[in-house]
Amino acid sequence: MALVTFDSVTRHYPGADRPALDALDLAVTDGEFMVLVGPSGCGKTTTLRMLAGLEPVDAGQIYIGDHDVTAADPGHRDIAMVFQNYALYPHMTVAQNMGFALKVAKTPKAEIRARVAEAAQLLGLAELLGRKPKDLSGGERQRVAMGRAIVRRPQVFLMDEPLSNLDAMLRVQTRNQIAELQRRLEITTVYVTHDQVEAMTMGDRVAVLRDGVLQQCAAPRELYRTPANVFVAGFIGSPAMNLFTVPVVDGAASLGGYHLGVPREISSAATHLVVGIRPEHLQIADRGIGVEVDFVEELGADTYLYGTTVDPQTSQSVVARVPGNTEVRRGARLSLGFDVTALHFFGSDGARLG
Amino acid sequence: MTGPPTRHRIAGLLGVYAGLGAVTACALFPILWALSGSLKRQAEISQPMLLPAHPQWSNYVEVFARMPFWRMLFNTILYAGCVTAGQVFFCSLAGYAFARLPFTGRDTLFVLYLATLMVPLTVTVIPQFILMRVFGWTDTMWAMIIPGLLGSAFGTYLMRQFFATLPIDLEEAAILDGCSPWAIYWRILLPHAKPAVMVLAVLTWINVWNDFLWPLLMIQRKGIATLTLGLVWMQGEYVAEWPVLMAASMLMLAPLVVIYAIAQRAFVSGIAATGFGGR
Amino acid sequence: MNPTRRRARAGRWFIAPNLAAVAVFMAFPLAFSLYMSFQRWDLFTPPRFVGATNYRDLFTGDPLFGIAVRNTTVFTLGTVVPTVLISLAVAGLLNRKIKGIGLFRAIAFLPLAVSSVVIAVVWQFVFNTDSGLLNIMLSWFGIAPVPWLTEPHWAMVSLCLVSIWKSVPFATVILLAAMQGVPDSLHEAARIDGAGEVRRFMSITVPMIRGAVWFVVVISVINAFQAFDLVYVLTGSSGGPETGTYVLAIMLFQQAFAFLDFGYASALAWVMFAVLLALTVVQLRLSRRNAVNQ
Repeated sequence: MALVTFDSVTRHYPGADRPALDALDLAVTDGEFMVLVGPSGCGKTTTLRMLAGLEPVDAGQIYIGDHDVTAADPGHRDIAMVFQNYALYPHMTVAQNMGFALKVAKTPKAEIRARVAEAAQLLGLAELLGRKPKDLSGGERQRVAMGRAIVRRPQVFLMDEPLSNLDAMLRVQTRNQIAELQRRLEITTVYVTHDQVEAMTMGDRVAVLRDGVLQQCAAPRELYRTPANVFVAGFIGSPAMNLFTVPVVDGAASLGGYHLGVPREISSAATHLVVGIRPEHLQIADRGIGVEVDFVEELGADTYLYGTTVDPQTSQSVVARVPGNTEVRRGARLSLGFDVTALHFFGSDGARLG
Repeated sequence: MTGPPTRHRIAGLLGVYAGLGAVTACALFPILWALSGSLKRQAEISQPMLLPAHPQWSNYVEVFARMPFWRMLFNTILYAGCVTAGQVFFCSLAGYAFARLPFTGRDTLFVLYLATLMVPLTVTVIPQFILMRVFGWTDTMWAMIIPGLLGSAFGTYLMRQFFATLPIDLEEAAILDGCSPWAIYWRILLPHAKPAVMVLAVLTWINVWNDFLWPLLMIQRKGIATLTLGLVWMQGEYVAEWPVLMAASMLMLAPLVVIYAIAQRAFVSGIAATGFGGR
Repeated sequence: MNPTRRRARAGRWFIAPNLAAVAVFMAFPLAFSLYMSFQRWDLFTPPRFVGATNYRDLFTGDPLFGIAVRNTTVFTLGTVVPTVLISLAVAGLLNRKIKGIGLFRAIAFLPLAVSSVVIAVVWQFVFNTDSGLLNIMLSWFGIAPVPWLTEPHWAMVSLCLVSIWKSVPFATVILLAAMQGVPDSLHEAARIDGAGEVRRFMSITVPMIRGAVWFVVVISVINAFQAFDLVYVLTGSSGGPETGTYVLAIMLFQQAFAFLDFGYASALAWVMFAVLLALTVVQLRLSRRNAVNQ
């Protein structure tokens, strides 16, 4: 049973050329951690805000459970949200911040106190209950923002890039805490981020958006292994997948002077292909794509080689990951071999082939 | 807000507009009542209609007959103009000096400036009156222009705060080019100070225009009187001749409403930023 | 001459005219009025030193002083309290982005540009016992005409009403600016927490602008305490009827420029200054204790 459903949801800002969100169809199942990811302007935040009720819906419907909440007030949707800048009430204590929603709902004081204490315990905020936000560190404020959401026991958690204001170390720590918390509480969560690492590590499923259009929604592993189009292929994974535009001549394609094995049904249908291969699937070999190395990045355990293909017509950039003890120098010419099963094929429209 | 407005939301919106309507009605009704009164005959003034059957524009003509209106308008513009120009120039100059130039005692002096802002008008008005007598300026234009001409502590405070927020690179480039402090002020900083200058100019203009106590003390002759003084004299001379008085009030209101319409943004943001005005 | 010294010299020249003006028209009068408060002087005969007599007479011998203090207190409270409450509501109404809000704001702030003199003359007409708008409207409800400006207590009420009408736009400008400084995300968080408009206003907006509210209170008190123009033009130079609107500023004016008792008037001015200073300090203390640091 889907808990959150987007049915052809569209948002078009007045005066803009294209919709901010174009007919989004997405279903989040009960208890799922769904991540919305994409570059800025892709519509992920707009989607979240529409789910929250902070943005009007121009077309389509949004359902939470069985209820059509498209026109409902933010306060009547049984949701809780963690904002990017936390949006804590500066003039209230941590306890008051966390209990505010319950107070508005006229919950008895004893119950408010109990639930606030429970959430505080869960997040390690018990000693900070009497403090005001200005006396807290960034990480502590983030936890209060989470606590405020948890206390409400909503049907859906909404999180808008909650880690982007934290420093790198804290970010990794908190990332794990959030994932752990969500698993424990089993509350359906919709999480927005621009960081694909966060998306891949935290989400049960990840929805990749670009320019208002959903590119692919799948589990992280599937996104990585079978990206639905060129954009997803290049967005997920770091360093990005190598994408080569290759002409198909007489049913065959070549790159860097090397013949690429293209399955017949694909090569017969197209004149141009985009061929993708991830850096870790390239290895230095006797026979392979001819590459001239421009730049070597030694990271200890791995070494990344940045170069360009040796091609009579056009040279394209290549990134390869090789073991850390490999000795390669700038300007070297080598061949990069690979397993044909590691190749991804995309048509000229960007969609996946095969 | 989500989707098409629900009944609940429409009711709320109507309520808001009703409230706004009430606010504007309260703000406007005295002025509208005065306007309608200015067009009535003396006998009609107690009738509650907004626009009389035969609007008596003659009331307005009467005003010019009873009061040297154009002269007073000219005087008021002259005083407001001179003081505003002087304030803008001398206060911005001093403001720049306090913000950026390193002379001894600068910061202590500025604190003293700030202290004078606290002093209420009531304390200084009597000695200022005496000063004018000593200089022999009572009942002359000088009394209306000179005291404000070289600026005030408030204006300098305003400009200094503003100059302090301008990036220092602006000046440093000019200093490296060998510009004198005057050139830096005149050529580089002042053009960048337009918003603050606007605010100071509008606040000063309106304050001088609306000033009553000082003209009341200083001026006896009609020839150099201001509009505010003129209105009060009329009030005293033609007691209960409401139509003409209202016409005079409307005439006096008109230039300010025009200025307000033009410079409303600057005026309002100036008040919001400094809390001065509204006296 | 090295550049720093040149700049310092320029600095001195730049402040010179302004400093002269402040010294002559601000600092000197301040000192001189203190000096005068210990003299007896009527401008024609030479001043005579009388020590603290002026101050003593003020507090012990002058019934008018007591009346003025009482009237000024009533006027100040009767202006400031309603002004703050009304302007909070008006600012709340104006703090939204609906169609036409710009026009509503422009009209609501219009009284800011109008002089107290014009306001007073216009309101005199509104308050007129026989032909004024208010009494006409009251007669529609069968209520007898109110002696707005002819009976001492009503005169004070009328004065307060006009003063409120004049002060609300000013206070609203400041409070509205403060409200607009409250981050949108706080309102959004409160909406998600289920708080309706009124609830959000009371629990989020008002507490967040506490600093601005105190500021408005302080400025309004200072302005009301010294109100002169409005009183003079609305109810006359003697604070009539029958001292009904006899406030401290009117007393000062009367003592200085009607009775020509400059020493006494200066002493009164300094007493007013002292009271204002004390009031301001008290209010600042109170506001600091309640302050919200953001």
